[in-house]
Amino acid sequence: MSRSYDRALTVFSPDGHLFQVEYALEAVRRGTCAVGVRGSSCVVLGVEKKSTLQLQDPRTVRKVAMLDDHVCVAFAGLTADGRILIDKARVECQSHRLTVEDPVSIEYITKHIAGIQQKYTQSGGVRPFGISTLVVGFDPNDKIPKLYQTEPSGIYSAWKACSIGRASKTVREFLEKNYTENLERDDSIKLTVKSLLEVVQTGAKNIEISVMESYGVITHLEQSEIEKIVATIESEKEAEAEKKRQRLAATQAGQASMAMGSQAVSGTQTPSAGGAAGEGEGHATVPGGESGVQ
Amino acid sequence: MECSFGLTGKDYVLLCSDMSAGRSIIRMKSDENKIKTLGPHLAMAYGGEPGDTNNFAEYVERNMRLYHIRNHYPLLPESASAWIRRTLAESIRSRKPYSVNLLLAGYDTTTTKPHLYWIDYLGTKAVVPYAAHGMGVYVSLSTMDKWWFNDMNKREGVDVLKKCIDEVKKRITVHFNFNCILIDKDGIHHIDIESEDPITELESQQPKETLVDAPNPPLDIGNVGVTA
Amino acid sequence: MNSVLTQLQPHQSRLEEYDELEHTDAAAWGSMAGFGNLSRTGGVQGMSVPRVSDPTAFLDLHTDNMSSNPEAKIKIAHGTTTLAFKFQGGVIVAVDSRATAGSYVASGTVKKVIEINKFLLGTMAGGAADCQYWETYLGMQCRLYELRNKERISVAAASKILSNIVYQYKGMGLSMGTMVCGWDKTGPQIFYVDDDGQRLKGNLFSVGSGSTFAYGVLDQGYRWDLTDEEAQELGRRSIIAAGHRDAYSGNTCNLYHVKQEGWDFIGNYDVNELWYEYENKKKADREIATASAAAAASPMAVEQ
Repeated sequence: MSRSYDRALTVFSPDGHLFQVEYALEAVRRGTCAVGVRGSSCVVLGVEKKSTLQLQDPRTVRKVAMLDDHVCVAFAGLTADGRILIDKARVECQSHRLTVEDPVSIEYITKHIAGIQQKYTQSGGVRPFGISTLVVGFDPNDKIPKLYQTEPSGIYSAWKACSIGRASKTVREFLEKNYTENLERDDSIKLTVKSLLEVVQTGAKNIEISVMESYGVITHLEQSEIEKIVATIESEKEAEAEKKRQRLAATQAGQASMAMGSQAVSGTQTPSAGGAAGEGEGHATVPGGESGVQ
Repeated sequence: MECSFGLTGKDYVLLCSDMSAGRSIIRMKSDENKIKTLGPHLAMAYGGEPGDTNNFAEYVERNMRLYHIRNHYPLLPESASAWIRRTLAESIRSRKPYSVNLLLAGYDTTTTKPHLYWIDYLGTKAVVPYAAHGMGVYVSLSTMDKWWFNDMNKREGVDVLKKCIDEVKKRITVHFNFNCILIDKDGIHHIDIESEDPITELESQQPKETLVDAPNPPLDIGNVGVTA
Repeated sequence: MNSVLTQLQPHQSRLEEYDELEHTDAAAWGSMAGFGNLSRTGGVQGMSVPRVSDPTAFLDLHTDNMSSNPEAKIKIAHGTTTLAFKFQGGVIVAVDSRATAGSYVASGTVKKVIEINKFLLGTMAGGAADCQYWETYLGMQCRLYELRNKERISVAAASKILSNIVYQYKGMGLSMGTMVCGWDKTGPQIFYVDDDGQRLKGNLFSVGSGSTFAYGVLDQGYRWDLTDEEAQELGRRSIIAAGHRDAYSGNTCNLYHVKQEGWDFIGNYDVNELWYEYENKKKADREIATASAAAAASPMAVEQ
């Protein structure tokens, strides 16, 4: 029955769905993960990079693109669609300069990208873009970093930190838990890498990081730098885990040695220790869940 | 009433244009920048029908920039000249042609050679060692014929340019202000043609280590220190 | 490469029949910097051009614009003095108020400053209808820009919209010489836009048949650090001078001052009255000067 509603895109299903748009979202969910984090004075884009084949030139596989001097975009989903959308956005950036002399604002170009995506959900003979994008940058004459997300449906929204693509929900939850306001540059990068590591098992070699610090100043981190960050994160995690283990051991030992009489003290301690352990467990289950999505 | 020159040297190219803009006999501006930066090592001096000139120059500028962003490297002078010539050649055959003449100057970073192209509104392109458009043609082409020689260093080049400007000021009834740039391996530099020794001034400036991929927003070459 | 590049081309194939299909084709969708109802070519739907194979040549033949054909049947009104200049206190805009049709004074109370919005003024020289229509239209576009982008349009952008429009109609008899003046994030700004499609940014402009006379006073009195009163007086004085010398300018002078908070209308002044006031004042000042010079000279004589 429902088959007939996803033949022509512009036809709603009786319950108000546009199936093709939802399938496009599915394509996004199968794409590699991308994370954006907004710091106090910089904005970081992190993407999961597919491992290139042995004989492939990795330079030709790019997931982060500059739209103009001050706008950078990362996407998740069908790479081929991304290329087209990026090109349209680049043309618009120059066209905007040609018509009003000013460079585009980040919101403007996001709105434009989302507008194109929306057009492709309401026109005959086309299919939606199978990509979500993260648009980051600085408005001209402004010091506030901007981060926007667009979806295949044409929705756009601003974020403090955001993830799209494979396991984006896990990463978003991680970000929600760990994001703090006014992150410094290094902390923003670290948070980005950390959140990506939630999904990327292979570590630094499959992560790409771009940092924009002000209008037109963008750096793409070297592999070695990312490795260093990953290493510090690993060692921190190690130390954290070690601490937890010790604390757990201590509480367990305490519990064992304590007589049943002194419940009042240990009673408050146990739940917190248990909570920490649970967190650790949850952490361990994440990669398992991920392979399912893949 | 306009006037522009260009000349190549050993490892640089000089470009110079007047700065007047107006309507019929009235000069409304004498500090209008009529040299457009098209890339890190590419610029053009343009003139012709008012309205067309700026529209065309901005159109070229944005397309050059688009090419750069798409491909991560700028169009080389040779290719840029071909594209501009073709655009004009297509335009002359359209219903509303652009009447724009230009001198395109660039430095090819791959071959380390300076390039100068003389292009007119008909879509003619000539590769030239030195050239002029507008009023300058009448008095200073011969000056350059006499004084220009192969592989001039920067000082010699600027001296020839000064001779040309001097000749224009001496023999052309209209008064012009001039705006000069020099393009070499380090990019585009503004040259103060009025000063005694602009090259020493140029060399004494701190080398700009922040040479952005392409000057965008464009370097405002004409109005250095002029705007109030 | 070329097909996409043409998306950036603002004015090739302009005024070709507007193809509804082409523009609803999503694949060709591109915007004009937020000007949704300008077509992709930056032009405007709604103004008709003659249905002939070459409207430019047709209109050039039948209108007297730029005196390419003074015998043409369609006469376009000219004759004006307008001026605007930037100084430390903002922008002064001053215009006369005479409208002429040939040697006939059609009106002496024309508003030649068009209030585009609270922060933008446009002046009117050349065809009154063209200026009024397109600058009102510009006001519309500026408001739409505000609504779409949640910020006021810059003077640069506003003037560029206007220049793109007139450039579309280049050679078709539009007659406009206008200054778009205002205050935006970058401070006070003046852009001169004319029917050639020329657009100049500057500190000081005067446009119209009386502009040469206005320049004569304006240039000699202009400094960046004029006080507000001095600047207003300079603008007024320049228009009076032009109104006196130029047959196609005169009647009254309208004076505006653009400041950070928007523009102020300073006043309307009768050119004739002011002219004789200035004349009398000049005479009186001269008398005082000669008297004091004589007074200063006589003790010298005694000393000798």
